[in-house]
Amino acid sequence: MKANKVHAVIAAGLHSPALITLWREDPNQLRKCGIEPESFDFDALQKFAGLTTKVRHNGLRLDLPLTFRLLNVAGLEIELFSAYATFRAASGSGYADTTAGRAQDLLHFMEHWLDFDRREHVLLWDMMRHELALTNLASVKPTSFAPKPSSTTKIPRPADVPRVRGTITLIELRSDPRVVATVLQEKAPRLNEVELGTFNFCYWRGENAATIDILQLNELGFCLLTLIDGATSTATLSLTITGENKTSRGIVRALGELAELGIIDFCLTKTKAVKRAR
Amino acid sequence: MKYLNTANQPVAIGLAHGPGVTEYISAYPELIDYVEIPFEQLRHAPQVGSIQEQIPVVLHCASMSVAGFVPPADSTLDAIATEARRTQTPWIGEHLAFVTADPLASDSESDSDNPPTALTYTVCPQLSEETVERVAENLATLETRFDAPIILENSPQYFPVPGSTMSMVDFIGAVLQRSNAGLLLDLTHFLITMVNTGKDALTEIAKLPLDRVVEIHISGLNVQSGIAWDDHATPAPAPVFELLDHVLERVRPKAITFEYNWTPHFPESVLLNQLQSTRQRLGL
Repeated sequence: MKANKVHAVIAAGLHSPALITLWREDPNQLRKCGIEPESFDFDALQKFAGLTTKVRHNGLRLDLPLTFRLLNVAGLEIELFSAYATFRAASGSGYADTTAGRAQDLLHFMEHWLDFDRREHVLLWDMMRHELALTNLASVKPTSFAPKPSSTTKIPRPADVPRVRGTITLIELRSDPRVVATVLQEKAPRLNEVELGTFNFCYWRGENAATIDILQLNELGFCLLTLIDGATSTATLSLTITGENKTSRGIVRALGELAELGIIDFCLTKTKAVKRAR
Repeated sequence: MKYLNTANQPVAIGLAHGPGVTEYISAYPELIDYVEIPFEQLRHAPQVGSIQEQIPVVLHCASMSVAGFVPPADSTLDAIATEARRTQTPWIGEHLAFVTADPLASDSESDSDNPPTALTYTVCPQLSEETVERVAENLATLETRFDAPIILENSPQYFPVPGSTMSMVDFIGAVLQRSNAGLLLDLTHFLITMVNTGKDALTEIAKLPLDRVVEIHISGLNVQSGIAWDDHATPAPAPVFELLDHVLERVRPKAITFEYNWTPHFPESVLLNQLQSTRQRLGL
């Protein structure tokens, strides 16, 4: 077989990996080009496309070192990027210009590609979201002016409106990425020993804070933080969660605990504040 | 500006340019003699070249498609020549590979109907007499364009290339026999090829014309999905250093480059250890 024809097939497949899928399904496409499809190892070519795609994503390693380490340890780099290369080529869209864009695109792909019955896939999904949360919060500019709370109470009254102090990202995980990070420092990481469960994590960059805190919350605290919008009162939050008009003591206590942590404070509803001013 | 003088000098040890290199150079000036920079990086981000105020530069390249059938653009070759002159690189390392190929055209189409397929990653060519001839022709033309000599880097072979009639070792030998080019022996690429083709690396490396080795590359590899892959983010494994010992017992290259340029998080202690142990191997 002529070398230039062979090179043409390999280059076309690497350039647009969706072609490799097409050639597998319809080998006559290659025969029309004077190529004997049987001589090509399409599986290996597709994996090679995965390697080249992985290399194109090296820029993500700065922000996602543990994700890439995990990919390597779990032996998923080629498998993932090969599938991703084919997906992107089939969709006809190129890769994003920025590393942030590439990371988000990859994350969206992984959500559909990963098999959440596989432990390594679960750990990978959690680790990437964990590292992206840290990266995204690190890029948030600290608030230069934080309005003082209307109330200094840690125990809210029904009319008090809780608000988040700073910026948070809430993620429900099945593993603790901090534990996985420790395991990944080992020479031969034992991923099968990482405990799986339900982990409600809040990544919090406080007002004027230079660092990001990672809080592990109970279900109620996590739920409350997803609902707190700086406009909804304690009473309404309670109603939303319990379905009852009477403000729940448990909700009040949970809000108090979040306030003790410093992640929320309280202000009065506009109506109430006006009444008090009079 | 600093320049690498390799005449009558001991073996130089260098790093491939990448994230973290500037810090390494500052931290370990006694261990690092030069930085190897891809021409493509200099072309797209010329400010990278300012590193030569601190340390000599060796020019690497992935644009000539030496083993290909589509010649590079004149403007590309002019730009390589300009960088070679500017950096005063002692040689230009280029992949014994192709990076551009003819468009895939059906029998009813003409090749000229479509543009060539340009890749961003070099690819192992068909290992055949036809390619050897082509490399020799390409080199004969290319060598006239540059003040510095071209040295050829062996490709990693990930799968059998259809139409191949010879092994990687025979292919490299045939190319060197028909050209004046020196060899940039990438030991990791070599090991990858041996693993993927089921050959014994130590036996095969002895068959190479090692007297033509000018520079050596060292990086990591990993086996995934049944294939050994190049990996500049992980440390070179012990077998790579066994190959290095084998080569150093027979020849003294002019330079050894560590290619850990895919990640800003390469473990510094590992790099330091490898730089020091390589210097010890060389009696430096």
